[in-house]
Amino acid sequence: MLVVRPSTFVDLTGIERLLNDTDARVTTLPKERDKLSEKISESDDGFRSGIDGDGPASFLFVLEDTDTGELHGTSGIDTEAGNGYPFFNYRLDEIVHASHHLNISSKVPVLFLSHELTGRTLLRSFSIDPQMRDTDGFDLLSRARFMYMAANPDRFNQEIIVEIQGIFDDKGVCPFWDAVGRRFFDLDFLTADYYCSVKSKTFMSELIPQHPVYVPLLPEEAAANIAQNHAAANRTCQLLYREGFHKSKFIDPFDGGPVLKGQLKYTHTYSNIRFKNAKPSEVIGGMKYLISNQSAHNFRCAITTLVDGIGDSIRIPLDVAHALNIREGDQVAYSPL
Amino acid sequence: MYIRPVQHSDLDALCVLAKNSGVGVTSLPDNKQKMAAKLEHSLASFEKTIPEPERLYLFALVDEENDEVAGICALEASIGHEDVWYNYHVGKSVHASRDIGVHKVTKTLYLSNDLTGCSEIATLFLMPDYRKDQNGQLLSRSRYMFLAEFPELFGPEIIAEMRGYSDDNGDSPFWESLGRHFFQMEFSDADYLTGLGNKVFIAELMPKFPIYVPMLSPEAQAVIGKVHPQTEPALAMLKSEGFDFNGYIDIFDGGPSVSVKVKDIRAVKESHVYLAGISEKTPAPNYNEKHGLLLVCNRKLNDYRVILVNKGAAGDDTLWLTQKQADILNIKEGDTVRAVALRPTEAS
Repeated sequence: MLVVRPSTFVDLTGIERLLNDTDARVTTLPKERDKLSEKISESDDGFRSGIDGDGPASFLFVLEDTDTGELHGTSGIDTEAGNGYPFFNYRLDEIVHASHHLNISSKVPVLFLSHELTGRTLLRSFSIDPQMRDTDGFDLLSRARFMYMAANPDRFNQEIIVEIQGIFDDKGVCPFWDAVGRRFFDLDFLTADYYCSVKSKTFMSELIPQHPVYVPLLPEEAAANIAQNHAAANRTCQLLYREGFHKSKFIDPFDGGPVLKGQLKYTHTYSNIRFKNAKPSEVIGGMKYLISNQSAHNFRCAITTLVDGIGDSIRIPLDVAHALNIREGDQVAYSPL
Repeated sequence: MYIRPVQHSDLDALCVLAKNSGVGVTSLPDNKQKMAAKLEHSLASFEKTIPEPERLYLFALVDEENDEVAGICALEASIGHEDVWYNYHVGKSVHASRDIGVHKVTKTLYLSNDLTGCSEIATLFLMPDYRKDQNGQLLSRSRYMFLAEFPELFGPEIIAEMRGYSDDNGDSPFWESLGRHFFQMEFSDADYLTGLGNKVFIAELMPKFPIYVPMLSPEAQAVIGKVHPQTEPALAMLKSEGFDFNGYIDIFDGGPSVSVKVKDIRAVKESHVYLAGISEKTPAPNYNEKHGLLLVCNRKLNDYRVILVNKGAAGDDTLWLTQKQADILNIKEGDTVRAVALRPTEAS
């Protein structure tokens, strides 16, 4: 059975293998073992602090097949984008250059560096085994995060943001980066990306030019890539759009990828959640649901079929109850898949 | 040939000059009404009926043989008063991190009004037929004599804006890469509007935030601070008087601004006051001898005159002029005149 749970140090090699297998860039998960273990340690602290914690926390989840013990993906949440430091984006704005006298008016798109999204809830670190991309496992891994937030709503800012990978090619050539960042860093995109993961994105962002960037001054290709996602992120975008996310005015300052925004309580998963007392039993059939326990530090989320009735309790299959560490009478949360 | 302030009767001649000047000489509008206003402005300036910072002094180069106006030049007392004066300051931004071994200096253009209040060496145009016999030198350098004589009418610092690079079609790479994006207009049209006194309106349409130079086209980057090939001689002349690039460029064509302190101008520093003497034996000017000529001006504001004379005319305290030269300068024997070598002595 596929289960999403908090990462632990035991997952280190599994995550490493996964990162080497996935094509997608995951800036927030470094491939270096030391750095990765630091991330897991941070996440561990986060889960331990549970709902009582304050200050920024980072949660890292893994998708595990409990039958084989194999890891198939990672996903994460930062309670505060920037983790207490500035979180950088470009905001795509417009300036009207007009003269009454000359009867001229034209709108000029301009990119402004912005910290506005600092402190929002940030979904991040999503990586999945390519074989799982087109399965329910994809939904489970991504949406389990909403289930976790539902179990601990006070821990999270209502506004959720997701940075979507921008456009770059197989060789790591990123037109937006070449037109903007590269002129100030003298580093190619992959090297800059590497530093983002081993130093921090904030660290790198502080080197980004502070003055606004006039979009018409960028090469056409770079300008056209603003707020466009990498093809590898199509599925992620579709899922998030279904959840109720939309493209914001913000883009990633490195690759120009879009930042999607959503409100926790209006997300499809969250708004359809129901809470009931579990009644483990032999059940068959029904509709597919995401289901999770209500533990802040020992969170588990899986997919199951349920038949939802009108009472305060709900029957759940025994193997699911076991996988979620649920006993009779424990509260569970479930939301239609 | 002599220099005098422009007069009412010069209007038609000035319009002919403007028609001939074409794109690039922005302060000569090919528009009679505008030209008339400019003329009035100059007359009021010499008469001191308008406040000092607003004054504009226009001078004509006149052929005494036929009274034809062969050229025009100007001095602006103080820029940026009626209108706002814009330049880009060519500055730097540094992006550095020791940690990752990055240290990058990026040329950055900052929109500024820094040159507000400077005096300006403005318009100069000489009709093609008269581009000989040191007429260009006389026309241009006569202004330094005016500055030497009446420094109190000007600011401590004087600038000249040099026409920036444009190609044979009149296209400016700097304009194409920058200004063009902010309103759809040909450089020549923008230039025309500028000449009509609309420079400030156009300037208001230009980007207000700093521009990172590497974001401009390589062609545009290459012409920042570069003058039009036809302006090279004018630049050389200004440099020989002590002017130098001051780090500011034109916001439209990227042409350089050059400046100098008025008191440090070669002609101002080296000019002397002489007593005028009349002698028909004084040697005639030889225009082929570049270093054998003196600029001589009378010391009258309203009836200002400048001519070229032979270097041999200067004695220790007296400058010897023929009666005709004295008449052109509108002086009598015993009046004082100011004189300086037309060119710096060192071959620069």
